[in-house]
Amino acid sequence: MANKLMPEDFLRCVSAHTQQPCELTGHIINETAITIAADDLHDIVAALMEELNLTHLSAITAQQREDHPDEIQVMYHFWQGGGYTLIVWLPAAEPVLTSLMDIIIGADFYEREVAEMYGITITNREETPPLLLPDDWDEGPPMRRKEKSV
Amino acid sequence: MKEKITIPIGPQHPLLKEPISLRIDASGEEVLGGTLRLGYVHRGIEKLAESRTYTQNIPLIERICGICSHVHTTTFCYAVEALLGIEIPPRAQYIRALLCELERIHSHLLWLGVLAKHVGLETVFMHSWHDRELVLDIMEELSGGRVSHGINQIGGVRFDVDAEHHPMMADKMQKLHERITQFMQIFEREPSIKARTHGVAPLSADLIRQYGLAGPVARASGVDVDMRRDDPLPPYDRLDISVITHPDGDAWSRTYVRIYEIYESLLLCEKILQAIPEGNISVRARRKVPAGEVVVRSEAPRGEVVYYLRSNGTEYPARLKIRTPTLPALAIMPMQLAQIHVADIPVVLAGVDLCIACADR
Repeated sequence: MANKLMPEDFLRCVSAHTQQPCELTGHIINETAITIAADDLHDIVAALMEELNLTHLSAITAQQREDHPDEIQVMYHFWQGGGYTLIVWLPAAEPVLTSLMDIIIGADFYEREVAEMYGITITNREETPPLLLPDDWDEGPPMRRKEKSV
Repeated sequence: MKEKITIPIGPQHPLLKEPISLRIDASGEEVLGGTLRLGYVHRGIEKLAESRTYTQNIPLIERICGICSHVHTTTFCYAVEALLGIEIPPRAQYIRALLCELERIHSHLLWLGVLAKHVGLETVFMHSWHDRELVLDIMEELSGGRVSHGINQIGGVRFDVDAEHHPMMADKMQKLHERITQFMQIFEREPSIKARTHGVAPLSADLIRQYGLAGPVARASGVDVDMRRDDPLPPYDRLDISVITHPDGDAWSRTYVRIYEIYESLLLCEKILQAIPEGNISVRARRKVPAGEVVVRSEAPRGEVVYYLRSNGTEYPARLKIRTPTLPALAIMPMQLAQIHVADIPVVLAGVDLCIACADR
């Protein structure tokens, strides 16, 4: 049985590896969430793995919210006796993320899925053929909002 | 030095029950590795969900998978109910869990038959699929559906477990107990099963953790995690869950874990039927769901299911993300294939218990 991670340990570890002040948010029911800068993501995940043994990446969720149409929100859902989520915001015009595959190889398919569905460029990993979309898909990332941002 | 050849398997292939494209690199009898491609049953369910009301989404979500349909709607309903701030009656919680366990039994029996067929035991395949009918009969009696049960609704369940159901279920479960005991004996004694599974495609606990696998495949490598015990939805927090693990991580361990999980699920069904409280089976739920976000995890027959749901205060979900257990199981497959002989490919594919419809969504 996995040792349960404590939210205060999660916050302490994330805070120690980020430049900007951060705090736990309780806006996602059942999850302990923190918003971080996209540039800090790789280092923070590496620290969480090394210091807290938080290795189980359950999923990566991306969304283009109607209240933030010019941004894409990407959530990394981890689990260790409870749910822990790291949230990053990317500009919708040019979303770029650093791959976690060098530290969590299981991030492979999750990253490929959000890259295809939301048109996110993932750096620091090999180019791969589409995982889910057909080879001749030319209609743009299918999960992006079509309406113009206000 | 033997020449490297690429063996294409799928998207349509007699070995596969669902479409997936595998490209296996081999040199003689030795498999060097492989790549895979999904998307042949991608239905865009996450996007479709945004254009349907919460209630309309239940039949849609039930069709993510033709085997573990109930656990998907259960997880979705608990997510919506969390946003609504309602707790469903305890009786409804137990009925949901009963169906989840019956689904686990029928999923594992189906898998057992597929594995038996791939190792050349056609008789065991016939028997296990025959016995799976007993579970499907119970589910049909309870809900009217063998695979898509339509039993969940926002706020509870639609069908009750009546007094007349109990003798029918007790009779069929007794038969299943006897049959599972026989399967245990066959799989532990039959030399051909041992020969085809012992030491085949082992996965270390480290590798399981790196790939984020959960469920029977992880437990067969000694990773002692089960969402029913470690992050339980009700009523699992009130039930004593016995988690089956095996340290070896090979095809045999995955067989062992699943057979004993069938047995444990049968015991759990009996516990649920003994503990099921009297009372209502549903509460009234509003159609508009307050704005908010929630993550709900549950243990499907193949492992961890995660639902992220965001509501913007309307009758329609603003975002529904579904994580199914087959996706990480597929990611690890090239690694598994790289260690085996060509003749063992079916055993490896069967051992992981793939559900491509789940992975594609």
